[in-house]
Amino acid sequence: MDFNYIIAMLLVALGLYCLLLKRNLIKIIIGLAVLTDGIHLFLISLGYRSGGIAAIVSGEMFSDLPGFAARAVDPIPQALVLTSIVINICIVAFALSLAIYSYRHYGTLDPSKLRRLKE
Amino acid sequence: MIPHAPILAIVLPLFAAFLMPVVGILARRRGIKRAREWFAIAAVLVELVIVASMIPALREGQIIPGQFPVYELGGWSPPWGINLAIDGLNLFAAVIVAGISALVVIYSFVCMERDHGLDQYYTLLFLILAGMMGVALTGDIFNLYVFFEIMCISSYALVAFRRKWQSIEASIKYLIVSSLGTSVILLGIALLYGMVGSLNIAHLAQKLPLEPTSAIIVPLALFVTGFGIKIAMVPLHMWQPDAYQAAPSAVAALFSGATATIGIYAMVRVVYTLFGAFAIGIMLAVLGLVTMVLGALMALAQRDLKRLLAYSCISQIGYVLLGLGLGTSLGIQGGLFHLFNNAIYKTMLFMIAGAIIYRVGTSNMDRLGGLWKNMPVTAMLFGVGALAISGVPPFNGFASKWTIYVAGIEAGQPVFTIIALITSALTLAYFLKAFNSIFLGQRPKHLSDIKETPLPMLFPIMLLAVLCIVFGVLPQLGIDIVRPAQEAVMNSGGYISAVLGGA
Repeated sequence: MDFNYIIAMLLVALGLYCLLLKRNLIKIIIGLAVLTDGIHLFLISLGYRSGGIAAIVSGEMFSDLPGFAARAVDPIPQALVLTSIVINICIVAFALSLAIYSYRHYGTLDPSKLRRLKE
Repeated sequence: MIPHAPILAIVLPLFAAFLMPVVGILARRRGIKRAREWFAIAAVLVELVIVASMIPALREGQIIPGQFPVYELGGWSPPWGINLAIDGLNLFAAVIVAGISALVVIYSFVCMERDHGLDQYYTLLFLILAGMMGVALTGDIFNLYVFFEIMCISSYALVAFRRKWQSIEASIKYLIVSSLGTSVILLGIALLYGMVGSLNIAHLAQKLPLEPTSAIIVPLALFVTGFGIKIAMVPLHMWQPDAYQAAPSAVAALFSGATATIGIYAMVRVVYTLFGAFAIGIMLAVLGLVTMVLGALMALAQRDLKRLLAYSCISQIGYVLLGLGLGTSLGIQGGLFHLFNNAIYKTMLFMIAGAIIYRVGTSNMDRLGGLWKNMPVTAMLFGVGALAISGVPPFNGFASKWTIYVAGIEAGQPVFTIIALITSALTLAYFLKAFNSIFLGQRPKHLSDIKETPLPMLFPIMLLAVLCIVFGVLPQLGIDIVRPAQEAVMNSGGYISAVLGGA
C-alpha cells in the first residue's frame, strides 16, 4: 500500500527534475507529463482499497449497505483523475505543437536559446 | 435576479465559444460582414447583464433555496454535490471579469480586424471568460481547478495566437511555468482530499483544524505557489513580461485586468476562507513588497511600452498583496479596492498601447515620439491612466493607495508604508518617461501622418478613463462597491454556514 505513495512521489520528483534541469523542450514536456502522472497515481492511491469492489450499489448489496461501504473503493479520486488526465492531454498536445513551431522559428529545441524577446 | 443566473453566467460563454465557428461559417456563406464580432459583443453584454443582476439580489440578502446564494447543481445539496456559492467576494471578482471582458470584446472589433482566424480568436476569448467565471463562482475546490485549467489553456493559445516567433517563445515559457503551477495546485487538492475527504470549499474549511499543523502547511504552500505563478508574484513572475508583450494587445488587456483579478481571488479564497490562515498574511505582505519594488525597478529599464506595462502590472499586484496581507479590515479593503482600480487603469493602458501599435505598428519607445500632435485624445487618456496608476490625486489610484498606506501604519508596519510610497514615486517616474518618449519630444519623420485612434477603439478607453476619474473624485463610491467583498473575506464563518446551512 505504501509502495504506491513512494512511487508517486518518485514520479513527481523525476518530473520536476526533467522540468527544471533538462535542456530540450521535448524532454521538458515529457517531464511535465510524468509529474502530473505522479500526482494522478497519488490521487488514485488515496481511494484504493485492496480487494475493494466498484462503488455501484446493485442487487443484494442493498440489504447490506454498511458492508458495501466498508468494501467499496472511493469513486471520487477516480473521477478527478479522469478529468485531470483529459486536461493533461490537452496541455501536452498543445505544448508539443508549440515545440514544433519553435523549432521552425528558431531551429533548436533548447529553451535557453529562446530568448530573443528580452533583447 | 435572472433565474438560474449563477449557472447561466458560466454556461453562456461556453455556448458562445462553441457557436462562434458556426456563426463564422454561416456568415461567410451568406456574405454577412462582421457577424461574429456583433455576435460576440451581444453575448458578452448579455453575460454582463446576467452577472450584474446578481448584485441587487445579494445586497438585499435574497434567498432562493437551491438557487441563490448557493446554487446546487443537479439538486445535490453540498457537501455531496458540486455547488456554486455566491458571496460578496465572488461577485466582486465576477463583475470585474464580466465588465473588462465586455470592453475587451468591443475593443477587439477594430483592434483585431487585420488578423486572420478570428473565429478561433473569439472562441478562445469566450473559453477564457467561461473559465474565469467558473473559478469566480464555484464553491468546489476541484471544480475551481478545472476552470482554472480551462482559463490557463485558452490563455496559452491566445498568447500564441499570431504564431510569430515572439508569440511562440512567450507562449511556451508561459505554458511550462504555468502548467507547473497548476500541477502544484492539483497536488495540493490531492493532499487536502487525503486529509479531509471532501472537496467542497466550505466543508473543507469547517473540517480543517484551526491551529496550523505541518500537515496543513504543505498544501497551503502548494496553493500559494500555484496561484502565485498565475498572478506573477515575484519570484514566480518570469513568464509574465514575455507573455504580455507578445500577446495581441486586446488579450494583454484582458490578462492584466481580468485574469490577474481571478488569480488574486483564488488566492484569497483559498488562503483566507479555506485555511483561515490570516497568520500567513504577513508573508504575503512581504512578498507583495518585494513584488512591487522589483516590478517598478524592472519597469524603469524597459524600452518597450507593453513590456513596461507588464512589469508595472507585477508592481501593482504587489500593492494588492500588501493590502490583503496586512489582514486588517482596512488593509483588505485597500487591497481589494486597489485590485478593482488596477483592473480599470491597467486594461486602459494596455488598450492605449494597442491603439499605438494599431496606428504606428510598433510599441518600441525608441522609435516613437512627438505623437501628441497626431493623437491628442489618446495622449490625454494615457496621461489620465499614468497619473491614476501612480496614485496622484484626484484619480482612483490615489484613493486605494492611500487606504493601503493608512492600513500599513495602523497595522504597526510604517516601514511597509514608506516602501510603498517610494515605489509610488518610481511608478510616476517610469510613466513620465514613457509619456515623454511616446507623446513628447522629437517626432520621427515617418510618423507625421499618423491619425487619431479610431472611435470604436477609443470608446472603451474613454469609458475606463471616466471610471478612473469618478472613483478618484468619489472614493466613497468605490469603497461601497468593495465593502461586501471585504466583509466576505473577513467572515469565512458566514460563507461556511451559507453553503452548508445548519448541517
